[in-house]
Parts: sequence; C-alpha cells; structure tokens
Amino acid sequence: MHRTIARIRSVIPALVATALIVASPASAEAQGNAPWDRVDPAQELLDGATPRAESIQIDLPSVTQDGSSVPLSIEVDHPMRSDDYIEALYVFATRNPSPEVVEYHFTPLAGKARISTRVRLNESQTVFALARTSRGAWLAGTREIRVTVSGCIAQGNAEKGPDFMQTRVRAASRARPGEPLDVRTLINHPMETGLREDSNGNAIPERIVHSFRAEINGETVLTARFHRAVSANPYLLFYIAPGQSGPLHLTWEEDTGETATATAEIPAA
Amino acid sequence: MSHTLVVLWAGLAIGGVFGVIAQRIEFCLTGGLREWWTEGRPHRACAFILAVATALLGTQALAASGLVPLDESIYLQPGFSWLLVPAGGILFGFGMMLARGCGSRALVLLADGNLRSLLVLFCLGVAAYATLTGVLAPWRVALADATTVAPALPAPTLPGLFASWGAGPWVAHGFPAVLFAAALAAVALTRLGLRHATREIAGAIAIGALIPAAWIATGYFGADDFEPAPVTSLTFVAPIGETIQYLMLATGTRLEFGVAVVFGVLVGSVAASVTGRSFELRGFETPGQMLRAIAGGTLMGIGGALALGCSIGQGLSGFSTLAFPALLAVAGIFLGAFLAVRTRLEA
Repeated sequence: MHRTIARIRSVIPALVATALIVASPASAEAQGNAPWDRVDPAQELLDGATPRAESIQIDLPSVTQDGSSVPLSIEVDHPMRSDDYIEALYVFATRNPSPEVVEYHFTPLAGKARISTRVRLNESQTVFALARTSRGAWLAGTREIRVTVSGCIAQGNAEKGPDFMQTRVRAASRARPGEPLDVRTLINHPMETGLREDSNGNAIPERIVHSFRAEINGETVLTARFHRAVSANPYLLFYIAPGQSGPLHLTWEEDTGETATATAEIPAA
Repeated sequence: MSHTLVVLWAGLAIGGVFGVIAQRIEFCLTGGLREWWTEGRPHRACAFILAVATALLGTQALAASGLVPLDESIYLQPGFSWLLVPAGGILFGFGMMLARGCGSRALVLLADGNLRSLLVLFCLGVAAYATLTGVLAPWRVALADATTVAPALPAPTLPGLFASWGAGPWVAHGFPAVLFAAALAAVALTRLGLRHATREIAGAIAIGALIPAAWIATGYFGADDFEPAPVTSLTFVAPIGETIQYLMLATGTRLEFGVAVVFGVLVGSVAASVTGRSFELRGFETPGQMLRAIAGGTLMGIGGALALGCSIGQGLSGFSTLAFPALLAVAGIFLGAFLAVRTRLEA
C-alpha cells in the first residue's frame, strides 16, 4: 500500500511537468537551445537581450567526486576601464535545486573580472555564467561537469563550531607592476541550505552568508551575493587594480543580520 | 613554488624512493605471506612487518606533536562501515594472492618488464572506480549507509580511546605505538636475523619511514588557509584508478598527490630495474593465468575500495594511525590471503 502511494507520488512531478509543457506551447516554442533560455532567473536578468557566447572562460573540473565543494574559476576577457568594464557576473547551475549560484558586482578598481570560489553542484549538469558590461552588453559562457557519488567518506563538519564566522584574508605580499593583485578570503560558515535534515529528521533551517563587500580606501572594489549553492566556508579569490594601495576592508553579512569583517593592508607596487 | 606544487613534487619523490627500494628488496606482502605459510620462509613478510612498525612510530609521533592534522584523513572519519571495511579487506587479501601481488607490487613488476601486471593494474583501477563512483557505487553507498557505526570518541582510534580516558597526547599516542611497534619489530627481527639481512632491514625501515614523510608532505607542506591539500599518505587502490582517469581526462582534472606517487613508483622502479639489469619482458603463458590476473585485479579493486585501502593504504598508512577501521581492514586482508592459501587457489 505504502509502496504504491510512494510510486504514484514519485510519478506526480513528471506528470505535472509534462502537463505544463503541453499546456504552454507558446513558452515551449520561445525556448532556445542555450541553457540561459531555460532558466527563469536568467531570463529575468536578460530581459529580452541575447548574450554573445564569448569572452567568458569557466574553469571547472570535468569530473568531480565531491559535489559539495567544486572549485570554480571564471574569467571574463574584457577591459576594466572606467568607461567600459564588466559590472556584473552571474553564475547559474541548470540542475541544482535552485539555479542561482552566486553573483558578483565589480568596479574598475577590481582590475580584472576574474574570481575563484567553491560551489555545490548536486548532479552532472551545465554551469553557465552571464556577464554584463557597463555599456549594457551581455556575454555568456558555459561549461559541462560530471558529478559522481562521493568516493571518499569524508563527512563535512557543518556544525556551528568555535570558529563560526571567523574570517581570513591574504593579499599577495608583492604586487607586480602593472598587474592586478590577488586577494584570497574565507569565512567559516556552514552555509545551511535548508535542504538538510538533522539526525532526528527535522529540517535544518536555511542560514547562509548572503553578501560580501570589499572596499579599498572607502571605495568599493567588488560586492558579491552568495546563494545557497556556495560551499560551506565561502572562499573567494578576487583582484585589485594596479596602483591601489592602503587598507582593504572586507564585510560579510549573514541572513540574521550578523556581520563579520576583515582588514588587510594592500602594499604599494 | 606554491604549496600544491610542493605536494606533487614530494609525491613524485616519495613514490620514486618507494619504487627503487621496493624493486631492490622485492618488498611484497603477498609473496611474503605465501612463502611464510607454504614454504616456511618468513623473511619477506617480516620485512613488511618491520615497515609497519616504523610507519607506526613515525606517524604516532607526528600525531602527538600535532604537526599533521591526521584527523582530516579518511582513516579517522568518525563513522565507518563495520561490514564493508572487513569484507573489503577479505576480498582484497584474496585478490592479491590470486594476482600474486598487490597494486604497488604490480607497479614495480611492470617496471621490471612483467606485462602481466599491466592487466592486473587496469582491472584493479577500473574495478576500484566502478565501486567508488561507477556502476557498483549505489550498492556500496546503500550498504555503507545501513552499516555505518560511529564510536563516541574524540577519534575512532586506539589513541582516541586512551585520550577519552584522560591520557595526554604523548601518552595516548606513545603507549600503544611503542607497544605495537616493539612487538612487531621483535617478531620481524628475530626471524630476519640482524646480520644476515641488513639490506632488507634497512630497506624495510626506509619504506616504513615514507609513510610519515607522506603525511608531512600533504598535512604540513600542503596545509593552507584557503586551499589545503587533502591529508593522505601512501595508498594504491584509488590512486591507480585515478591515474588511469588522469591519463584520459588530464585536461579537465587536477593532478593529485596519489597520482604523483604512482608515477613516482613507476619511475623509481624502472630506474632500479634498468640499473640492476633485471629488466626482462614477460607475458602470460596460459589463458588460466590471465583469468587469475583479471579476477585478482578486480577483487583487489572492489575490495580495496570497500575497505578504504590496500595492503599499503590500510596495512601501512591506515595502521599507522591506529584507527579501528584500519585494524579491521588489516585483519580482513590477512584472513582473505589465508583463505586463498588454504583453498590452494594461489598456487
């Protein structure tokens, strides 16, 4: 009896999906072949614009055994001049429970539109990125990844430990003249997705660090919005344009409104 | 040089040293057990036991000093399967007797021109990954979920047990390490005879010392606030599968410590084989031999994946942490090997 109900239940989402597709021929017709055509939040962002599939290099492993922490680097090959720069970069995972992964908003002070982070990908899928230039043009890039079950039994310790909300920052100690300087940051945080259950079967509520801001001498270099697909202990590598020196202030903010900060001294070139 | 490069070069060097010594002293648990149990010659098995004792002392000293975060390694994960770990050990032990050598031995033999090892290695690597992430993985995960136990200790190890009784780190780690190492060394040295086997004894101690060396390479030199290297030591099941995968997918994957070690062993043992003029091409003579190599390699791959390690990965690295699952796996490997000898399948 139970089994039959379970079986019927497991079929319902597929039936609903089929019904929706059949019932809305117009939207089906409008669907293109690019992954951003099938992801609603991406469609809202683009608002009718068609991105050029160029200039974005996404670096992901082809195969990973650990979908809970996949190293991701994205570089947009575009100038960062004050009159033409990459002002926003959005990352989506087509087959995650929610497609939004993370978004970054740069200023020309970032020097280059390149970041590294670690993300959660729950199955094999297409990851894509959309970038908007300050002149309003859209660029896009895609990358396939295969995610297998975890081969190792290492269990992530997502408990709220003594180092909760502790931050770390490391800027390159010496800048190469004319080259952007790299800064690595990390905050200890479990990034609870709201999709997990504790040992008693109760849902653990969602609790994430949702925003990050980097400022040098009071001017914004980069802001980021983290979604729940950012891995526990959010890690971010970003850049600062050459010629900038002085105190770098970093601020993270959690859903609860709690904030954490870190400071680093950026050396003169 | 970045810390990731340091770890890779260290892996290559450690593998290289392992390859040279293992080739020269014919370091092999399989051959050692066969000779001991069927011919009454315990020498090679005793060299292995001596390496275990050395690895144990070195690793426990590292753990007590806190230099290397051993608790991040797979051996010290809080939960383990009480079924799959010993069962995997039995499969591995049985398989290594069938194939006449474990994974690391097959690498060394291949470098010696033994082409039979190539088939063993391919079967081992593919079967390991079929079990870890491939067609057998859903069963492995389901069985592991149903049989996982997590002892309520600071770490699922003998030192963890002593620490839970209130012992300080040097006592908790030192007491069982010295006790076990002394017993193992006594067994090995009395049978080897110090004077007759100086070369074997020196070689075995050097191989044992590579285990803490690898912990230091990954756990100390690989440590980083932002991108730490996985803390691991020598093991040859997953890394042989990983090496095959790396050969096919190098442009989309990163080189890891274990793969660097596998390449290092090949390079080191080729060098030792060529300079020692022992290189000679050898192949299968009968289809029966081939069948045994295939079965042995496959059993080692599946068993090693279930037991989280092989005769080196659990026998040396895992045992050196004194983790309970490692003790179970080692017991399984010996039992599997014993069964193979008893059923005369290894003959």
